[in-house]
Amino acid sequence: MSFSWIRVGAVARKEWYHVRRDPFTMAVGLALPLIMVVIYGVAIDFIIKDVSLAVSDSDHSQASRRLIDTFVSSNYFRGRSVPNPASAMTAVVSGDAKAALIIPPTFERDLLAGRSGQAQILLDGCDNSTVTPVLSYLDTIEAIASSKLAGATNDLPYDLRVRYLFNPELNSRWFTIPGLIVVIMAILAVFLTALTVAREWENGSMELLLSTPVHPIEIIIGKAVPYAGMGAIAIAFVYIVARFAFGVPFAGHLWVFALGCALFLVTYQAQGLLISIATRNQAVAMQVAMISGMVPSNLLSGFVFPIASMPRFFWYFTMLLPARWFMTIARFSFLEGSNFSQLGVSFLALGLSCAVMTALAVRAFKRTLE
Amino acid sequence: MAAGEPISIQVRDVHKEFRRFEALHGITLDFDPGLMHGIIGPEGSGKTTLLRILLGLMRPAQGRILYFEGGRPASFDVLRPHIAYMPQAQSLYPDLSIEEHLAFFRDLYGIQPRAYAEKRAELLSVSRLAPFVDRPAGQLSGGMYKKLGLMCALLRSPRVIVLDEPTTGVDPISRRELWELLYRLLDQGILVLVTTAYLDEAERCSKVHLIESGSVIASGEPRALLDDQKARSFDELFLRRAAGSASE
Repeated sequence: MSFSWIRVGAVARKEWYHVRRDPFTMAVGLALPLIMVVIYGVAIDFIIKDVSLAVSDSDHSQASRRLIDTFVSSNYFRGRSVPNPASAMTAVVSGDAKAALIIPPTFERDLLAGRSGQAQILLDGCDNSTVTPVLSYLDTIEAIASSKLAGATNDLPYDLRVRYLFNPELNSRWFTIPGLIVVIMAILAVFLTALTVAREWENGSMELLLSTPVHPIEIIIGKAVPYAGMGAIAIAFVYIVARFAFGVPFAGHLWVFALGCALFLVTYQAQGLLISIATRNQAVAMQVAMISGMVPSNLLSGFVFPIASMPRFFWYFTMLLPARWFMTIARFSFLEGSNFSQLGVSFLALGLSCAVMTALAVRAFKRTLE
Repeated sequence: MAAGEPISIQVRDVHKEFRRFEALHGITLDFDPGLMHGIIGPEGSGKTTLLRILLGLMRPAQGRILYFEGGRPASFDVLRPHIAYMPQAQSLYPDLSIEEHLAFFRDLYGIQPRAYAEKRAELLSVSRLAPFVDRPAGQLSGGMYKKLGLMCALLRSPRVIVLDEPTTGVDPISRRELWELLYRLLDQGILVLVTTAYLDEAERCSKVHLIESGSVIASGEPRALLDDQKARSFDELFLRRAAGSASE
């Protein structure tokens, strides 16, 4: 029997009725992108600012004041004077301060004598989420302080300036929000489509559907369309919020980005359908969708944890994940600007996973009850 | 008269197993057009499995199903659009109204607007469901729900209609209405295939096929079959067989 768009339309319209009338689906489809944007865009900031710093300055010299000034003016630290090194230590131990800067009385004297001045930083090692970013600031601050202090001794050995390309202020939201599109789409596409076919099996309507002239491919396309529409709305929403609420630049071509979105959406919808067809049970489908869709797209796509620092096995494993490739496309499109020559590998990998996943879903959909 | 030549079906030595349970062993039956064939048997006798095999929803482990159109062999794929099915399980969408169900099946069957308008009006009138077109299927009574299932099946003017226990869970008045709807189909030359576990309904069929534990135990015109078995009713016949197998 030949393919019919009318039958696809019938399935799509019926599916849309289900979507519209099911509060759970509507909540996942509409509220989830909003909640995710609020959490990742407003509540979570991967750049730690205003770290409380207990400062014990036993030198009280021009050089020590310059050093303290470098810390405070970086905006990463909020300084508070303490009388001696012991109380600086107490402040960190008691949790009053996350870090302490201890400047010995010989600081300026050592510098003037041509020796390197030494100061100590104490960090609360229990709070790993603060220590890691603070350590990264220290390199920069050390470089800036060296140049300032060298200036104080009228000796300017070098001037080290770090300039961050594409994201000059190292604004973590610029990095997070484009990645959020990947995570939101992964949830929407896998999660919602994973339930659709399983629902038909569970309520017995699949038996009736399979006895009609409708072809499995028509059911698959028809069922995917409403959720693809919801995915497209979610992308548009996050794009608008990113651009206008958070001021994230968009350096790439919109059509390249849209093509990436479409490929990714189809891939993950096919994955959701495959899960649904294989499990025939909504509860099981939901679990499998969580594990195979949401978890990798959150943890292994480079959204939060850099892929480059993953153990070798996982580094290779991420190559199998469409989310990893789409993450590259999304971030490049927003921050660096993109063309096919830069993103060729990502598009190739994403296209390949799209083809494989769709083929698997279509193959798995049998026209019998067995 | 339904458009197109009448369809008949022959079942030849069909076997079906589920894991180690043999659901059907060696079923051979003839379903001639224009008649109401009742497949009668207790729960779990293999009625639904036989229907699913006829509809291509399951494959027989052994044996064949032969389809004929106007007496000539035809392939199931060619005839599929002309065979309608109403499953036993609740198979409609609880959130979709009667109107939305009819429109959905209209598009699945590719029915033209004018033909649909006529068929819709006719079905709503004979089923007396017209006042409830906007009511979701989940809020229909048992009898109304079954009638809607039947309407969806009849929408495409099929030449064969297969109904799996259409009257189960339906009150006596609605049961009678459903049977009246089925009789109307016979006048149109349709092959009606119906299963039931209500043995008193067997006598309503033109031909009955008694199935027990996956085998055909008797087949024929209801009265003749009862006379042959020296039983007054199908209830009595099955009760006697049950008592016989218990005493063995």
